[in-house]
Order: sequence, then structure tokens, then C-alpha cells
Amino acid sequence: MRRVVVTGLGVISPLGNDPDTLFSRLMEGESAIREVITEGPNGPSSNVAAAAAFNSELYFPPLQKTDHIDRVGLFAMAASGMAVRDSGIAFTDELRERSGVSFGTGMGAAATLEETFTQLLLRDPDRVKPLTVLKVMNNAAGAHVAIQHSLGGPDLTYSCACSSSSVSIGEAFRQIQYGTADVMIAGGAEAELTFGFFKAWNAMHILAVPDREDPSASCRPFSRNRTGLVLGEGAAMVVLEERGRAIARGARIYAELAGYGSNNDYRHLTKPSVEGQAKAMQLALSDAGVAPEDVSYINAHGTATALNDVTETRAIKSVFGDSASRIPVSSTKSMHGHLLGGAGALEFVISLLAIAHNAVPPTANLNVPDPDCDLDYVPGRGRSGQDVRCVMSNSFAFGGTNAVLIARRD
Amino acid sequence: MPTPFERVQAILEKKYSLAPETITPESTLESLGLDSLDLIELLFDVEDEFKIRVPQDGGAALKTTTIQDIIDSVQKMLADTAAQTGVEPAT
Repeated sequence: MRRVVVTGLGVISPLGNDPDTLFSRLMEGESAIREVITEGPNGPSSNVAAAAAFNSELYFPPLQKTDHIDRVGLFAMAASGMAVRDSGIAFTDELRERSGVSFGTGMGAAATLEETFTQLLLRDPDRVKPLTVLKVMNNAAGAHVAIQHSLGGPDLTYSCACSSSSVSIGEAFRQIQYGTADVMIAGGAEAELTFGFFKAWNAMHILAVPDREDPSASCRPFSRNRTGLVLGEGAAMVVLEERGRAIARGARIYAELAGYGSNNDYRHLTKPSVEGQAKAMQLALSDAGVAPEDVSYINAHGTATALNDVTETRAIKSVFGDSASRIPVSSTKSMHGHLLGGAGALEFVISLLAIAHNAVPPTANLNVPDPDCDLDYVPGRGRSGQDVRCVMSNSFAFGGTNAVLIARRD
Repeated sequence: MPTPFERVQAILEKKYSLAPETITPESTLESLGLDSLDLIELLFDVEDEFKIRVPQDGGAALKTTTIQDIIDSVQKMLADTAAQTGVEPAT
């Protein structure tokens, strides 16, 4: 089986639009969560969320037409461009035919959908914008990335809620392993901080209660006083490359993508299962040929819901046994929010940066220990000067799709 | 009162930042750098401008190649509307 390495990273994130800024802010325990006001038909509505500061003019030439692309697609294109530049890859005509795109998103073009129905139902029942179909189709973002870089290999979009972009990276890994592609631009994006989608998430009763005194501290994974998840938006894309060709061209290699495990809980649409999560981790470990004690850091799914954090803790303990207590596990969602379909990719990038910097990012706002969450969650601030050789990034989704990625220093 | 051509010209000028002198009735969409998706958007703006609806007739409107083709279709639609309502079109 061919080996796969990561040679480029790109992010549009609530904590900055380049990987180094993102990682240094995470290490400080800085949260991007703020009050976000959206306008509804009866006035403004307040939520807490982690928005990305995104000025599309910085990423697209002045004459490039972008109004037919939803925010989620613009995020994906900007992050992909960054990842490709970072990789230093030069696509020849031959290589383009062997290179593809693997994209993940949960809700796709949420803002365009909402805007379209608002226009249709509240303003003019006869008129929607002419390119609405092309803007809301779920594969639009991935297609724009393929067109942007003229890639003729596989172009696939995966949608499995919060594990979408761990799956998209894992499936891209397989394409290269099996020899159907040599290079894949893989990752995901989400952009759904809209009036209606906030309402929908609120109705699920799993959003965090906003912290009135300090909105940025509203998301508290593994802390006893956690109240739920906080939505975030952004994109993360990586360049995956067959290891031999990356070495031959002298590319900088962030890490080897060594293992991928995916399965389904199959018991309930939203309730996580210890067995299901544990199995996904075991599948990834065995795929990578890595022993549990060799894992140096776990980026947890860590949503800060009552159910996830206890379930994930138990699943980690069941897989890692005695090693569980000495492996740092952190939830960076406490700072960048939950990017849903983009979460897996962003957290995978953060895990790769942990290897690159030999540093472990923290879990912010973990102030009250929970006896049911008793691992080393790296509370407060990150730890530098660590020996981070092998990382695991966990994603568990509504719908039951679990996906776990493992990377190791090459 | 601007002519139908001038009105289409104004839409193109505004939407695609085209210099008005580059747009003539004989201009093809291709020569203006517009593709099939641009045409879909242009037809939408033309519908608003002339208060007409391009019929859903199997994509005939998408066979448009020149600006004059658009003007001809618009005038035909305005005339049809006038015939149905008995009101002379404003153009």
C-alpha cells in the first residue's frame, strides 16, 4: 500500500486565516467566541459563536466573479489556495489528471438557502436568484476548488455532519493509498452562522448558555459547568501527496497520514456510544499500525455537551487503557467553536501543527473538574517543548458517523 | 426614453463593468467575455428591467448568441404581452 504525507496546510478560521496565527493563539488559550447578532424578521437575535473574519477581496482577484459562490465555497477556495501555495506543488498537465479534491460539509450553502427562502416567502414569491441551484448544491465548493486548480482526478463531497471533513481527508488518503490519485486537496468547510440556523440549533437544546460576563468563555469542554457547544465557521484544507513523490520533489512534509478509521454507532441519530467511538479509534490505530501507548496527543471531538464529553472520555479509556491517563487530550473547540463539517479538517490541521511545533494546545475554560471526565485535558494554556510524534484527531457526528485520523512524524 | 438596446447595454455595463462602446447589437456574448451562466443571470436582469418573463420553453432563450438576439426576444415578448392585454408597450 502506498504511503501518504501532508505537504500543505490552509485555514480560514475564527482564530486567524493562516495556520501559524491559529496555532499560536490556541497555545495562549485565546478564544474567538463572541456575541453574534443576526437579523430576523422581528428584529435582532443574539447568540455566541466563533465567526471567521474573512475578506474575500484578499483571496480573489478583483475581476473574478464570486457572487455565484456561497460563503462556504469561498472559504474552501481560499483555504485550498493557501494549502497549495504552502505545499509548493507545481501541477503539470500530467499531474493534474492524477490529482483531485475531497471535500466535506455538513450544511453546505446554508446562508444562500436561507436567503433564498427569505426572499421567496417574505419578498417576492416569483423570484429567486438565477444561479441558486449552482450556489446551493452540496458539491459546489469542491467543484470550485477543482476548477480553481484545474484538477482532473476524483472530486468527491462527503456530508456526514460533524465528521464530514475527517471522512473527506480519510477517503482522500485511501485514493492515494490505492493508487487512484497521487495528490488530493482534502478538507472541509462550514458557514452557517445565520438567523435561521441559530434558531435550528437552539431548538436542539445543545448550544451553550452564553456566559454573560465573558462570552468568550461560553464553551467549556470536560468542565463540570459545561453547558453545550458553540458554533464556529471556517475551512481547513490540506494537500495530501504520495510519499515517494513528495520526497522526490524535496517537499516539506508536515507528517505522514498514517491511519483512518470510520464506522457508525447505528443505535441512535444523536446519542453517542462508547463502543462506536472506541471502535473508530481502534480501527484507526490498527490501520496505522500504531500501538495505543505510542500516541502523543489526542485532539478530542470535545463538543462540551454533557453527553459527548463523558462518552468520549470513556471511549478513550477503553481503547488506551493504562496509557489514557498520560496522553494529553484537548478540545480546541473551546476556542474556535464547532466548525461542524469543517471541524475534523481544522482539528486535523491543529494536530499536525502540534507535531510541527512539538507543542500541545490546551482546553480553554476547564475550571471545574468533572469526576466523570478524568483525563489530562491540558487546561488553560498549551504546553510547548513536548515530544509530539503521533497524533489522533477524533470526530463524531449526528447520524452516528465516527471518523478518526492518525498522523505521525515522518 | 432609452432604447431597448441602451437598456440592455446599461445592464451589461453595470453588472460586468464593460465599457459601453465595446457593446454593440452585433456583439456576441462570447466577444464580451460572457459564458452560459452569465447569460442566465443576464436574462434574469432583463426580465426585471422590461417587466417580462422569458418563457420556460425548453431552453430556447439560452440559444442567444448576440445582444440583438436578446433585444429581438424582448421586443417579441413585449408585443405578445401587448396583444394579450391590449396595451401598447412603453418601448
